[in-house]
Amino acid sequence: MSGALSAPIANYVALSGILFFLGVTGVLLRRNPLIMLMSIELMFNAANLLLVAFARLWTQNVGQIFAFLSITVAAAEAAIGLAIVVVVFRSARHVDVDETNLMKG
Amino acid sequence: MVHHVMGVPGFYPWLLALWLLPLLGAIVCFAFGPQLRRVAGAFASAIVGASFLFAVICWGVGTQTVGGALGAHQVLFSWLPGFDFGLLLDPLSLVWALVITGVGCLIHIYSIGYLEGDRAFARFFAYMNFFIFAMLTLVLSDNFVGLLVGWALVGLASYFLIGYWFDRPSAVAAARKAFVINVVGDVGIMFAIILIYSRIGSLSFGDVFANVDKLGTATLLAVLVCLFLGAAAKSAQVPLHTWLPDAMEGPTPVSALIHAATMVTAGVYLIARCAPLWSASKDAQLLVGTIGGLTALLGAVLGMVQWDIKRILAYSTMSQIGYMIMGVGIGAYEGGVAHFLTQAFFKAQLFLGAGLIIHALSNEQDVRRMGGLAKKMPFAFWAMLTAVLAISGIPGFSGFFSKDLIIYGTLANGHPWLYAVGILTAGITAYYMFRLFFITFFGTYRGDVDPSSLGIRHPELAGVASAHADAEHLHMSGWVMNVPVAILMVPTVFSGWLLFGGTHSPWARFFVSQFAQIRLPAAPISEGLTSVLTFVLVLAGITVAYLRYATPSAQRNAVERLRRETVGMPPVLSNAFYFDAALDALFVRTSQWLGYLAARYVDPLVIDGGVREVVISTQWLGALARAFQSGLVRAYAVLLVAGAACFIAYYALAGGAR
Repeated sequence: MSGALSAPIANYVALSGILFFLGVTGVLLRRNPLIMLMSIELMFNAANLLLVAFARLWTQNVGQIFAFLSITVAAAEAAIGLAIVVVVFRSARHVDVDETNLMKG
Repeated sequence: MVHHVMGVPGFYPWLLALWLLPLLGAIVCFAFGPQLRRVAGAFASAIVGASFLFAVICWGVGTQTVGGALGAHQVLFSWLPGFDFGLLLDPLSLVWALVITGVGCLIHIYSIGYLEGDRAFARFFAYMNFFIFAMLTLVLSDNFVGLLVGWALVGLASYFLIGYWFDRPSAVAAARKAFVINVVGDVGIMFAIILIYSRIGSLSFGDVFANVDKLGTATLLAVLVCLFLGAAAKSAQVPLHTWLPDAMEGPTPVSALIHAATMVTAGVYLIARCAPLWSASKDAQLLVGTIGGLTALLGAVLGMVQWDIKRILAYSTMSQIGYMIMGVGIGAYEGGVAHFLTQAFFKAQLFLGAGLIIHALSNEQDVRRMGGLAKKMPFAFWAMLTAVLAISGIPGFSGFFSKDLIIYGTLANGHPWLYAVGILTAGITAYYMFRLFFITFFGTYRGDVDPSSLGIRHPELAGVASAHADAEHLHMSGWVMNVPVAILMVPTVFSGWLLFGGTHSPWARFFVSQFAQIRLPAAPISEGLTSVLTFVLVLAGITVAYLRYATPSAQRNAVERLRRETVGMPPVLSNAFYFDAALDALFVRTSQWLGYLAARYVDPLVIDGGVREVVISTQWLGALARAFQSGLVRAYAVLLVAGAACFIAYYALAGGAR
């Protein structure tokens, strides 16, 4: 059951849950898009941690490879997110997401 | 279904020409009215005259019998299965065609003089020719739909001509009233047509009459009641008669042609045409006979109390058509049709004679303001006298023969009450016709008398003498008006002799193949005795009229006597038994009330409300959807997280259950 892991799997899952919760909380509560992007990265990392932990547990490298893919997507997403933040700042002179409501129906 | 063709099929160019010529005349008069000017009258008269000539030429084919088929049948085109449109000329439609074109031609000629100087001269003749065409369509059609088309077209022509002087509000109102009441009848016929087609699958007269037994007693009665609704509306039968007296707003020749001689007898034609249907239902016969008798009596009673010369004649028309409807209704078809023929002559003559007087007195129509015209207008005097004798049923004149045929027919068909009504009405008829005659022609001229001393209470007439206070300068009519009246005098006096000789008379032999199945049984009172009884009542009527209006003392005190009669008139009579008020309360008010309800509630709440409800619900849905589109990134994030949480919770729970 334990495989090549140096600690029990429950620890990894608990750490991943905490990281994900921190990320969700950051996205929901912070109004600065930069912090929100960082929180999203936190949620990505929680998922990546689970991927590599279970890959190690079941000695299947697919999980390792998938973590790399996920990191790549996260990097692309961060780039687009930061570009949006820059554009918003140029037009609105601020980056508060609560004040940015041009899409309001 | 048994197919049955009435008439010998073939190609009959004269029949087509007789039918279509008046339509051509109407189109030409309408299109080239300004160019034709005065010629329009002569042109239109010539068209109808030619039509009459063609009708005479068609006499031979109209009365031919080849292998059980009677008359001429011209197929025009086929529309639906079981429904070919065509023309049928048999003795019945031949009589009508001859009267429509013959009397029509004379009245056209008369109109040239009567409407001289009218500004829309050509339009009048366009309408008149159009009417002739419509009426010929009605009587020549070989099926119910063609009949209904003609039926509606004559109603339209009647509307045009009653409202011919459209600058008079009363004429416009009368035209509208006539049209609306006639449409009630049209709808009745339409229902009958639907019933017939649904049961028999054909609408040609031949097929329908050959398959009467497929209708069943109840359906047959329904069909006949619907048909009679149409006949009653067109022929001014109680209680749909109220339009006819008002229709007198039209020019007098129109009253003579349409509202006396031809159109109003369309109901008689319809019943006579559908004789095989009517003979199959005793209930329908009783209904129609009763309504006819009631109309005859009511018209005569109301005719006694009118002062307008044309309204007297209108009620008399209603009464005479009541006779005809009673005749054809109870199965005395030959009698009813005969009375149509003689009435067409003497009633046209009465109207044209009245027109001579009205023309001479510059549109004065109140008989109280006439009087003493015998010496001033000898021609009108003789014309009216012959017609009055004919309508009263003096032996030897036309009305005597036809009226007695109907009265005797009622008894022979077992309707003693209608027999009594017929004889009584004959007496009243003699009274009111001679009343008109004596007031108009006897005594001294009253046009120069103050209207209030005659009891006339028109505010605009107070203290005003008639336009022709000077009776020496009447507007006498020329030959163009006198000649048609003189020609009409011949059949007015003599046409009844066609009926002389019982079953061997020319009339009976003419119709022997048409109404062969109907032979009158013997009646308890002989035909001769019936004539004597009727004649006694007619004499009594004339005597009363003489005593009231024509004795030397009555002539001397005419002004005072007329005033007393006017003032003492019971309101129930001067309001014509309140038929107008009753119809108004029952139908006009109800319709207005329904219209008010629709305008007040149905339209704003149901129609507009429905549309508004769609708008409101769309708005509501939009508001609901918009609530999610807050534009707040964090609100979207909450939704995302909540959605993800639901997703996870579902699989966690479902996974647990599995």
